[in-house]
Amino acid sequence: MTMVLGHIKGQHFRAHHIDEHARSSWLWRLDARAKLVGVLAFVVAAALMTRPELVLASLCLALLMAASSMIPASHLARAYLAAAPFILIASLSVGLYGGLGKGLAMAARTSACVIALLVLASGTETFALFAGLRRLRVPALVTTLLMLTYKFILLLGEELSRMMVARKARGFRTGRSLADRYGLKVLSYTAGMVLVRASGRADRTYEGLKSRGFEKDFTGWRSVGVRAVDWAFLAVLIAASASLVLFQLEVVAWPLST
Amino acid sequence: MHVPDGLMDPLVAALGWVEFAVVAAVALWLSRSRIAEKDLPRIAVLSAGIFVAQMLNFPIGGGTTGHLIGAALFAIMAGPVTAIIGMTVILLIQALIFGDGGLTAFGLNALNMAVIAPLTGWGVYTLLRPFAGGDETETSPFTGFGPVIAGIAAWTSVFVAASACAVELSLSYAVSSGTYGIASTIAIPAMLGYHALIGVGEAAITVGVAAYLWKVSPGAFARPVTEKPAAGLARVMYSRTVQAAIAVLVVFALALPLYFVYSSEGEDGLERTMSDAGADDGEPLLSAPLDYGEDYIAALLAGMFGFVATSLAALGVLSVLRSRASRAG
Repeated sequence: MTMVLGHIKGQHFRAHHIDEHARSSWLWRLDARAKLVGVLAFVVAAALMTRPELVLASLCLALLMAASSMIPASHLARAYLAAAPFILIASLSVGLYGGLGKGLAMAARTSACVIALLVLASGTETFALFAGLRRLRVPALVTTLLMLTYKFILLLGEELSRMMVARKARGFRTGRSLADRYGLKVLSYTAGMVLVRASGRADRTYEGLKSRGFEKDFTGWRSVGVRAVDWAFLAVLIAASASLVLFQLEVVAWPLST
Repeated sequence: MHVPDGLMDPLVAALGWVEFAVVAAVALWLSRSRIAEKDLPRIAVLSAGIFVAQMLNFPIGGGTTGHLIGAALFAIMAGPVTAIIGMTVILLIQALIFGDGGLTAFGLNALNMAVIAPLTGWGVYTLLRPFAGGDETETSPFTGFGPVIAGIAAWTSVFVAASACAVELSLSYAVSSGTYGIASTIAIPAMLGYHALIGVGEAAITVGVAAYLWKVSPGAFARPVTEKPAAGLARVMYSRTVQAAIAVLVVFALALPLYFVYSSEGEDGLERTMSDAGADDGEPLLSAPLDYGEDYIAALLAGMFGFVATSLAALGVLSVLRSRASRAG
């Protein structure tokens, strides 16, 4: 769980910049639906791989996707490190009981999945991703909440970082253990304050939305059709995923096996 | 507790998706009558607040830190249905925008942190609340021993969610004969030990936030009071105790399919391991723990026992405190 924190800590305060990475990538211009479905297909296939050569092949595919996406490697690496503790413990555990091969396969399989997901996350504009979900028939309640929540996360994140600066200025330092009651009190009051300040915003937001004709669903998103490029991207990913699964199930023989 | 893709056995991950889909469908159906359009920005603010609060690190000791899940806080403040939907939204953002927690594993992650955690927190809080004394009306949750109850609920929600995660990891390991998951001998002590401590921080912060909100902005907890139905099933369902009992039962019901998977697949997996043992080219550094069954059942029992024992202990303490208070008064 701590990984969430490290993960977001590194990224969150620069949340506006996430989409800037996206802009540098050809991936960014693809339709969010094609990316969502394609990456989902790949992740499902990659999670099914158990034969070492196929696990390796899926890892190579994920790395190829990451490399060709032009998303800065440092950005991907930092995000990957957040998932690393789980991958490490799982690989060690499987490796200790099942042998080195199984441990490495676990590490490669989880890495392939995480990298593919990170490419999707970093190579897509956030609100385009939510709009894509809505067009894929995710309930309006969920997508509307996703948009509003993300909007508020950006606001509250800034609020929180301002409060962190203020705390530091007052000379506050985080305690060393759970026994530090003062530290926990300050932390929880900070969280409480964030919530209070935010709830005032919520009402104003609703009024603002209402005056712009909001009715339980954000309508009027650019309705761009799925273009040939999007279909091609989707087809390549689905073909790759399907072949991985066919090789895994031994419906088709893996050509490179020794 | 955000499990990435490729770690859980596909069967267990699929089961997680099915269970989560059922719960999500029910929650969305219930939300039609409970969530009005004008509530949406408030729910979003609460979700964003919990998301941001998850970024506050608290020190555990020995240089390690933990952070809030916030499911119990969410459920106590907004009710179980809203909490399930709001926590799901938080997890979706973490998975899709930050790549934290997988897509195939999303069913299980959501089950642990967006369903089991809030339902447990809310269930424990609501069941214990009548024993806490003080003003028991809806709008004043933090009089009497209310904060103590909220703390117990928060700790239990983290511990039960972590137990669920540990059981899923061990089950993945058992049914895939060691290809997926984490061996129960590692997963259970690591997850439960760590989260027993995290839970203490979660409890302290939940109580702190709740006490702060209650002092500064009591309206934050105000929920519309619905009219009591006249008679029949609706009247029974109106009772908070009945609702909370159902919430706790749902948590146990969600664990049952995992056990069925184990009992139907576990033996096969075990047999496969034994038959594969000769042909396996890997060189095990440790001998495989053969008795997965006892580990798993032990974990489940430990989780249930912990849950019941905590509840009973809390009930005992509270009834003593209450009788003293009433004698003094």
